[in-house]
Amino acid sequence: MANLSVNLCGVQFKNPVIAASGTYGFGREFNELYDIGVIGGISTKGLTLEPRLGNPVPRIAESRGVILNAVGLQNPGVEHFIEKDLEWLKATGTVVIANVAGKTLEDYENICARLDGLVDMIELNISCPNVKSGGMAFGIKPETVEEVTRYASKALKRTPLIVKLSPNVESIATNAKAAENGGASCVSLINTLTGMAIDIERRKPIIANNTGGVSGAGVKPIAVRMTYEVAQTVKIPVIGMGGITCAEDAIEFLMAGAAAVQVGTANFTDPYAMPKIIQGLNDWCDRHNVANVSELTGTLQLNGK
Amino acid sequence: MKDYIATIVKNEKIADNIHAVTFALDEDIKIRCGQFGNICVGGTHLLRRPIAVCKVDGREVAFCYQIKGEGTKKLQTMGAGTRLNVLMPLGNGFYVEENEQKVALVGGGVGVFPLISVLREYGQTKEISAYIGYRNKGAVCGVEEFEKAAKFVGVTDDGSYGEKMNAVQAFAADLEKGNRPDVVLACGPTPMLRALKALVEKEGLNCYVSLEERMGCGFGACVVCVCDLTNGKKARVCKDGPVFNVKDVVL
Repeated sequence: MANLSVNLCGVQFKNPVIAASGTYGFGREFNELYDIGVIGGISTKGLTLEPRLGNPVPRIAESRGVILNAVGLQNPGVEHFIEKDLEWLKATGTVVIANVAGKTLEDYENICARLDGLVDMIELNISCPNVKSGGMAFGIKPETVEEVTRYASKALKRTPLIVKLSPNVESIATNAKAAENGGASCVSLINTLTGMAIDIERRKPIIANNTGGVSGAGVKPIAVRMTYEVAQTVKIPVIGMGGITCAEDAIEFLMAGAAAVQVGTANFTDPYAMPKIIQGLNDWCDRHNVANVSELTGTLQLNGK
Repeated sequence: MKDYIATIVKNEKIADNIHAVTFALDEDIKIRCGQFGNICVGGTHLLRRPIAVCKVDGREVAFCYQIKGEGTKKLQTMGAGTRLNVLMPLGNGFYVEENEQKVALVGGGVGVFPLISVLREYGQTKEISAYIGYRNKGAVCGVEEFEKAAKFVGVTDDGSYGEKMNAVQAFAADLEKGNRPDVVLACGPTPMLRALKALVEKEGLNCYVSLEERMGCGFGACVVCVCDLTNGKKARVCKDGPVFNVKDVVL
């Protein structure tokens, strides 16, 4: 039995496998299939100050090896989360990460202030590609990444801040550095890549929003490369994600420099993906005489040129 | 809800572009009429295919599906012995109350299959009339099941089988003759459900409809497959539905 626990920003995770925001709700539905206390953490569905109804349907499409989604931050609002889900979620024993989004700098500041000390970590969604007001405006340029991170971090006295980075930018490493400069304790990447899928019979995009965020197995090499670049650039911990389907995928991200990983789309293909990845990580470590999974982080050796 | 490893027993064409696949499980399963399974076809298809359960018999579960996209095309090619993961049972399903004796089934297109499951569940205890619309004669299927109902009216859009009308018109014609059900259960294309909603509202009939929407997880976590409710809120088709009281949903 390898030691799978990791520590990020003083928060202890029983393993480095975290549910990615938007694919796992607030955990209740997956808890009908297995005890969600076994997963390292959960990043909640993106929360806003007020409830949001989200985008029109269809909100999802498939393309070979990937999916596209444009849910548009449908959520019951932060107060509903605090009142109805938070205590239950904490009692499961998994690390609770509140994923938050807003329209304005003040929204980010206010929602962070409201959740400070209530959750284990906060993940700042500044890169939702599907909503004009979903913070995407803040997630593109390093100057605004730094500014919104500064607003959020000044509202947080007790809870460490993760900034989730968009891949739809000039340099994700530069934006990671900007988040670090703005006071982030951690960065997570990648959010979805903006894409389009067309119904050729109707000559229209399948998704009502026209474009959607691309995720799933097919994006993994891009995500691994970006994780590597970011890990080379910042000193704060990195959470890697993008197309992780099995333990071997997760190990690639760890070697590229991630301290933990998130699993999203794989939860749709196989609702037991996360427990299987955790078991697979343990087995891989045992086979390779790795006593602590955290030893894998950043052990990638580039080929000589 | 459980992710079953299901073995294909048979997978065959039953009408134009419609296949029926029967799976064997390692254990007995209980599924309500109107519930569905989320079938993993694997490979590069990361989403499962949510398909209504048509028949359940101990350890055997049958689904009927229209060959529409790449996933169902792939499913069509899978022969006996193929093992697939099927997450089921999902959704709420149809219910008929104790005091509801006369039941009308109104279905069109692939919407006929969940109604077959209603017939199998309530056929012995309730008086069921089925009004089923098909595109044309080639699309006609499930007749041997529907003929077990107290009354079966099969119609087509082009008149090549039964009368030339749609399922809602067939139901309306019977209503005019004074054949009023206690509850109407329906599944089919949205324009059909819209016409039915207008009719049952005018007639003051109790009616439940099963909706279809592109799904992500299939069990309520991802809020992808929502529908609009008349109270301004949204509901998840997979988890809060797929069956809704027609007066609660905007069609």
